[in-house]
Amino acid sequence: MPSATVNKPRPSELLSRLTSAEPEVKVRALREVKNQIIGNRTKKLSFLKLGAVPAVAGILADSIDDVTENNNCNNTNNFLVQSAAALGSFACGFDAGVQAVLDAGAFPNLLRLLANPNEKVVDAVARALRMIYQSKLAPKYDFLQQKNMEFLISLLNSEKETVSGLGASIITRSCETNLEQKALFDAGILRKLNSLLEGGSLSQRDASLESLATVFRNNPEVISKFAGPEIGRPLSSIIDLAKDRYPRTRLLACMCLIVIRNASPHFLQDIGIKTKLIHILLELLDDPGQVGDEAPFAFSSLIAQKEDLQKLALEANAIDKFHHHIKKGSLHPRRYEGILLALADMCSKLESCRTKFLSLQAKPSQSLEPFKALASNGIHTATKPKPSSSRDQELMLASFVLNLVADALTDYNAGVRAAACICLKSVTRSIQKLSAGYFMNETIVIPLVQLFLDPSTSVQVAALGATSNIVVDFTTSKSIFVQCGGMKQLIQLAKSMESSVRSNALWALKNFVFQADNRLKEGVFSELTASLLSSLIRDPEPSVQEQALALVRNLVDGCINLIEFVFAEDGLILGAIGRQLQCASKAEIGIQGMYALCNVASGNEFHREAVMQLLFTQMGDKNQSFVVKFLQSNDSQLRTATVWTIVNLTCPSSPGAPCRLEKLRNAGIVSQIKNMVNDPCVDVKVAIFFIFRISPCENSARAIYGFRGQLSMSVFIHYSEYKRQEILKQLVFQSSSPLFF
Amino acid sequence: MNKLVMNFLVTKGYVEAAKKFRMESGTHPGIDLATITDRMAVKKAAQCGNVEDAIEKINDLNPEILDTNPQLFFQLQQQRLIELIRNGKVEEALEFAQEELAPRAEENQSFLEELERTISLLAFEDTSNCQVGELLDISQRLKTASEVNAAVLTSQSHEKDPKLPSLLKMLIWAQNKLDKKAAYPCINDLSNARLEEPTF
Repeated sequence: MPSATVNKPRPSELLSRLTSAEPEVKVRALREVKNQIIGNRTKKLSFLKLGAVPAVAGILADSIDDVTENNNCNNTNNFLVQSAAALGSFACGFDAGVQAVLDAGAFPNLLRLLANPNEKVVDAVARALRMIYQSKLAPKYDFLQQKNMEFLISLLNSEKETVSGLGASIITRSCETNLEQKALFDAGILRKLNSLLEGGSLSQRDASLESLATVFRNNPEVISKFAGPEIGRPLSSIIDLAKDRYPRTRLLACMCLIVIRNASPHFLQDIGIKTKLIHILLELLDDPGQVGDEAPFAFSSLIAQKEDLQKLALEANAIDKFHHHIKKGSLHPRRYEGILLALADMCSKLESCRTKFLSLQAKPSQSLEPFKALASNGIHTATKPKPSSSRDQELMLASFVLNLVADALTDYNAGVRAAACICLKSVTRSIQKLSAGYFMNETIVIPLVQLFLDPSTSVQVAALGATSNIVVDFTTSKSIFVQCGGMKQLIQLAKSMESSVRSNALWALKNFVFQADNRLKEGVFSELTASLLSSLIRDPEPSVQEQALALVRNLVDGCINLIEFVFAEDGLILGAIGRQLQCASKAEIGIQGMYALCNVASGNEFHREAVMQLLFTQMGDKNQSFVVKFLQSNDSQLRTATVWTIVNLTCPSSPGAPCRLEKLRNAGIVSQIKNMVNDPCVDVKVAIFFIFRISPCENSARAIYGFRGQLSMSVFIHYSEYKRQEILKQLVFQSSSPLFF
Repeated sequence: MNKLVMNFLVTKGYVEAAKKFRMESGTHPGIDLATITDRMAVKKAAQCGNVEDAIEKINDLNPEILDTNPQLFFQLQQQRLIELIRNGKVEEALEFAQEELAPRAEENQSFLEELERTISLLAFEDTSNCQVGELLDISQRLKTASEVNAAVLTSQSHEKDPKLPSLLKMLIWAQNKLDKKAAYPCINDLSNARLEEPTF
């Protein structure tokens, strides 16, 4: 007979029945609350707000007292089971619920009840505790205390799955340090977990895999002890489970193996296991549930930073598979985020992967999309375009997949947006594609710039990262970026409260003005203002200081008029550079600052004299200029930058050079440089060469030094092709700022 | 062979038959038969369309099942909605959909399509001929009941499918493969499992 809908009592009504004097009413209300909240996050929240958790926790506490006083057994057990189940459900996957349960003081009571003689009570309590331990809000378990370890062992030894499962989840949640991992090993816990792997039930095996991974994480010592000969061949049981019939077990086994691989160079390094792991994880993507959602994250942890694995994954058609899943659409946000991050990892180092990604085809119905990309590249068409050249065809293909990424940039989920930016950042590391103008188009730039205003800081930072690469654009103009307000937004972000946003905004600006034309640079500078830039140079955060100095370096590189920037408003910027170089907290700051000065010194006599004065500003009775300190630095780039500055200051064609040379000699700098003739770094040696092997002819001297202050074109040409490529490679994000040209 | 039969009876939930079979053949069921009774009560409630009762029984058995299985929970709630529509309780159905099902779809967008399909039942005068009419069919209830049964089995760490059907499938597959390579006595009629001589 079909069920009729019973008119449910309102939640507030139910709550008041929880405090009823009649046990029948009370237990029925309790059961009703439990049944209403299970599976229903919305109800959990509304009952929580009404104060249900303390009420239920109170019932649990009262029932414990009844147990102690040996009151009506059946009734008491019923109360215990229902209240524990309700508390467990509040805590299930719901952090606010976990907090409420902990705040209500139920945790110690639940622990005590693990010793209760009634099986159903123990089951309910163990489940509730396990729900708590699945949350990061769970109280920290101190493994290093003897009685705690003994208690844990007793849990793991229990016949009941719910209890041993609790033991495993305590380990998974609370074990963090190498010390704790070792303590667990010494107590024989790993042996116990291994026996659960081999002889336990499905849930015990899964729980065991998770705990083992936690104990192994970043601990090669424990791993080699575990995999040693005494315990048989335990790694093989984990490897077998990677081929288990249940997808969740396969995933957890793979994750455990990946933890072992990443922590220890001795295990699981052969190509067979690498290929197997890749294939299993790619196949797990097909699982429609949570396992498929988590699989791409496991894949990322396998291949991140590892070129050999990225190559193997490319050969296994990983990029096609990920693309296939994204195309399907209506993805769970976790899965969407995971796939985008996996693609980001795939394209992070290998050009072959980026090329593959950008050549993916889309569904026929998306054939109209490339209009947006092509139109903004200056190819105007009213009808469907026929690609007239292979470059156009490439652009059209690329635009298909870029549209997919652009969609993700506007997703309602912040994690997905951030992941899309990170994916873009990886793909835009391709100098080839940057040069071909793949990315400087409306489809990408407009949504990206919108993310500068995103409510989430991590999305902002990720968007800035992708932007930093895209604005390093050699061929097409950067006008799209300026037109959609990108430049102004970047400058706004340079004033953000978050230091990571400030430094990344400056990074993007630095790349934006790299080799840009004078008008663009002047535009940036007038928007930025000398006072803002100088305060950024003096920012409390070293990373911000570094990027600000690098921005100055790129701004003044080029036309002599641009050097005037540092003298604006009474030399605000120049003064800030000087002060920052005095107290530079890390080499990178010195490097950028010195190159900035080097560029200033490539101007006219006035500029050179100003730099000279800066180098010799005394601080207290410190006789030694920071120049000597930099020349003696361990960092070769810093030494190089400093020598180049001195090269510019002593350029023989300038009238003030002999005088400056004398000052430098008196300060012991010349002799310091003479000592560096055999410097281990080639770049330093080349720079020193220019000080001591000066061509007598003024024209060739000018040709060599140029007005640009840094290594001029003629010398650059003398570098090998490989070296030139190396220099070009350093232009993009995650690497040092644009330098030689 | 006995273990295969016992496995089938246990997984499908034929408690009485399993008990008798144990007595007659001495085969161990490999699972506590009492848990089967609980599971069967849940399955029966679902098969009869008593969804609310089924939910209460599952929660008594193991509250984690529905808490960690949003797909199954949604399916059960959907079945409740279908039963309300079947009984012509239109207002209650709409209220139920709004209060209980809409939040599920909010929490998880992939449910939205199913929800809309179910609600559209209300739009049709003659539900037997419409596209979503199959939702009202008894087969939908059986589907839900079977999902519930599988979830409970998995939570008890028991395999949710009996081995026997898979073995039969494998037999047929193996015979198909072998047909291309050799002549051999094969089983053509699964119900009597007689070995027939190859014909030429």
